[in-house]
Amino acid sequence: MSLGFLPQLPPAFGQPALFGALLLAGLLGGEGVRRLLGLPRITGYVLAGVLLGPQVSGLLAPGALGEARVLIDLSLGLIVFELGHRLDAQWLRRNRWLFVAALAESAFCFGAVLAVLLAFGFEPLLAATAAAIGTATSPAVVLLVAHELRAAGQVTERMLVFTAVNSMLAYVALTLLLPFLHLEHAMSWREALLHPLYILGGSALVGFVASLSLLWLAGWVGKREDRQFILLVALVVLAVGAARSLNLSVVVTLITLGMLARNFDYEHVLLPLRFGYGGQLFFVILFVLTGASLEFTAVPAVAAAVGAFIIARYLGKSLAIVAFGRLSGVRPATAGLLALALQPMSGLAVVMVLDTAAMYPAFGGELGAVVLSAVAVLEILGPIATQFALKRAGEADPAAGSA
Amino acid sequence: MDEMDFTSSAGLTLGVELELQLAQSHDYDLGRDAAELLARLARVKLPGAVKPEITESMIELNTSIHRGHATLAAELDVMRDAVVQEAGMLNLRVCGGGTHPFHSWSARRIFPTERFKHILERYGYLAKQFTVFGQHIHIGCASGDDAVYLVHMMTRYVPHFIALSAASPFYQGEDTSFQSSRLTAVNAFPLAGHMPFVEDWAEFIEYFHKMRALGVVESMKDFYWDIRPKPEFGTVEMRICDTPLTVARAAQLAAYAQALAKWLLEERPRPARRAVYLVNAFNRFEAARYGLRGQFIDPFEERKRPLADDILDALAGVAPQAAALESADALGALAADVRRGYSDADWLRERFAANGSLAHTVRESAARWAGDKPRASG
Repeated sequence: MSLGFLPQLPPAFGQPALFGALLLAGLLGGEGVRRLLGLPRITGYVLAGVLLGPQVSGLLAPGALGEARVLIDLSLGLIVFELGHRLDAQWLRRNRWLFVAALAESAFCFGAVLAVLLAFGFEPLLAATAAAIGTATSPAVVLLVAHELRAAGQVTERMLVFTAVNSMLAYVALTLLLPFLHLEHAMSWREALLHPLYILGGSALVGFVASLSLLWLAGWVGKREDRQFILLVALVVLAVGAARSLNLSVVVTLITLGMLARNFDYEHVLLPLRFGYGGQLFFVILFVLTGASLEFTAVPAVAAAVGAFIIARYLGKSLAIVAFGRLSGVRPATAGLLALALQPMSGLAVVMVLDTAAMYPAFGGELGAVVLSAVAVLEILGPIATQFALKRAGEADPAAGSA
Repeated sequence: MDEMDFTSSAGLTLGVELELQLAQSHDYDLGRDAAELLARLARVKLPGAVKPEITESMIELNTSIHRGHATLAAELDVMRDAVVQEAGMLNLRVCGGGTHPFHSWSARRIFPTERFKHILERYGYLAKQFTVFGQHIHIGCASGDDAVYLVHMMTRYVPHFIALSAASPFYQGEDTSFQSSRLTAVNAFPLAGHMPFVEDWAEFIEYFHKMRALGVVESMKDFYWDIRPKPEFGTVEMRICDTPLTVARAAQLAAYAQALAKWLLEERPRPARRAVYLVNAFNRFEAARYGLRGQFIDPFEERKRPLADDILDALAGVAPQAAALESADALGALAADVRRGYSDADWLRERFAANGSLAHTVRESAARWAGDKPRASG
C-alpha cells in the first residue's frame, strides 16, 4: 500500500505558515506584555520576535529570516506609503519654518551622532553611514502608536511629518555615501557614481508612475472606501514588487508614492487613508521580524558607544525642534514632547544595517553592533516615549486604550 | 453689582459670537488643537476676541460692539482671515456649519477648564454630543423691560432664523433629513427651551431668584434658551442660529435681527402675548426639519402659511428700518436665497451628492469659509 499522498516528515512549512505563526506570536506577545506589564503592545510584538529568533529559541533561523524579507518589505512598504501620504507639501509651503525645523532636525541629529561616533574612534565613512541610519525615526512605531491612541494634534501631525522627512533624508544620505564605500572597495568611478543615481532616480520614477496610476484609477473607481482600499493595496504591493525586482529602494519608492499621491491629488479623488485592521497585520509582522533580527549579545560590549549614540541622537533632535519650535508655531512644551515622540528606532534601521552590511561586510562588525544595539534599546524605550508624549500632549483619544 | 442688574446699552447695538469647527487636513475629522491655535491667536492683534469652547475641536469668535452691518461684516472678515491664517500654520482647516458631518462624539475631549469639566460631569454624554456650532447674536437694549419685550416678540421670528441659518443636515455620518440637526442636540438639555412668559424685568428677576433658590440654576448661563436676556452685557442674545458657512451670511443674519429689533422696540407694533409660545415648538420643528420649505403658524393672525412667505413679508416689512440702518443689501441677499429656496444645508447636501464623501464635503466647506473661489472642475 502506498501512502504517497502523505507529506514527508518533518513537513516543510512554507510562507503561509510562517506568516500565520508570526501573527499569532505577535498577538500573544503584545497582549501578554500589555496585560502583565502595562507596556505598549509593540514591545510585546518585538519580544515575541526575540523569543522566536536565533538569539533565544532559534525557531526562526537566520535562513527563515532571509525568506521573510519579502514580508518585511511589504510591511515597511505599506507603512512608509502611509507616512508619505501624511506629508502635506502645502503645509510646509505655508509654514516654512516647519520645513526648516524638519531639515534641521535631521541635520542636527546626523551631526551629533557622527561627532560621537568619531569621538569613539570609528572610521569616518562608517561613522557617517551609522549616523545616517540613526537620523531616521521608526515610521512603524510612530504610526502604530498614533493609530492605537487615535491621536490627533500638533505633536502627532508634526511627528509624522518629521518622521517622513528624516526617513527620506536618512535614505538619501545613506545612498549618497555609497560611492565612497564603493571606492573603498576598489570599484570604478563610473559604477560608484551611477549606483546611487540609479537607486534614487529609479525609486523616485517608480513611485511617480505608481502615484499617477493610483490617482487615475481612483478617479475611475470613484469615492468608495472598499474599492479604493483594494486599489491602494494593489498599487502598494505592485510598487514594492517592482522596487525589489529592479534592485531599487522599497522605502524611497513607497514614500514617494505616498507623498505624490497626496500632493498631486488636485482633483480630490482620494478618500482619507484608512488601512484599519488589515493594515495592523503588517505592523505586527514587521515588529516580530524586527525583534527576531535584534542583537542583544553585543550590547554589553559596546554599551558606552550605544549610550552615547542614543543620547547624541536625542540631543540632536531636541535641539533643532526646540530651537525652531516657536518659529514653526508651537509652544515650547509641545516642542519638547515632539522631540521625545521622535525617538523610536526599529525595522527601518535594521533593514538599512542589513542592506549596508550585505554590500560592505566591514560595516557589519562593531559599528553594525552599535547601531543594532541602539535599535534594540530604542525598540523597547521608543514606543514608551512616543506613547508618553502623545498622552501628555493631550492628543490621545480618551476612549482609546494604550498602544 | 448684582448679576441681575441690567446694564443699559446704547439702543440696537450689535455683536456676534460664532462657534467654529477645527478640522484636520488629512481626513477632515475634527482635530484637537484649539489650545495651540488659541496660543497663536493670542499673539495676533484682533478687533474682537477668540475664546475656547467646550471641546478642543472648537473655538469661538466674538466681535466687538457695532452700530450696523457694514462694520460688523468688515470686522468678521478680518477675524476670519486671521483665524484661517493661524490655523493654516498648524495645518488645520476652519469651517462653519452647525454640526461636523461625521465626527464621533465619543472621541471628543472636553476643554480642561473648571466650568467645562463641571458641564461634563453634570451632563455626561450630552456634553460631548453638544459638539455643535452656533451663532449667537446680541442686540443692545436700553433696559431690562425692553429686553423682556424683545425676547417675547422675537420668539415669533425664531423659525426665520433657524431656516435662514440652517447648515447642519449631516450628523455622526448620517443625513438626518433635517435642515438643522444641531437644534436637536440643544433640545436635550433640561434648561433648553424658552423664557417663561413674564411681563417685565421685575417679574423676570423674581422668577430667576426662585429658580436659584430652588437650586435649578446657579446663574443666567445655565439657561440654554433660544433667546435670553443677558443683563451683564445689556443685550438680548439669540442663540438659535447654526453657524453659517460664510461670515457674510453671519453678518446678514445679525443685520436682520437688528432691523427686526429696531422695528419692534421703536414701534411696539403689539403687546407681548403668551400665545406666541403655544405654537413655538411646532414652528421650531418645521423650520429645523424642512427649513425654508417648512410651514409656519402665525401666533397672532392664527393661520398656517409657508415659512418662506412669512420670511419674505417680514423682510419687506422691516425695509424702512433696514434702510435707516444701512443694511438693505444684507436683507436683500437673505430675501434672494429665500426666493430661490436655498440655504447652507442645501449647499452641503449638493456638495455631498457631487463628491460622494463627507470628508470632501468638509474640505469644500472649509474652502468656502476661507473665501476660496470654488474650482471650476469641482
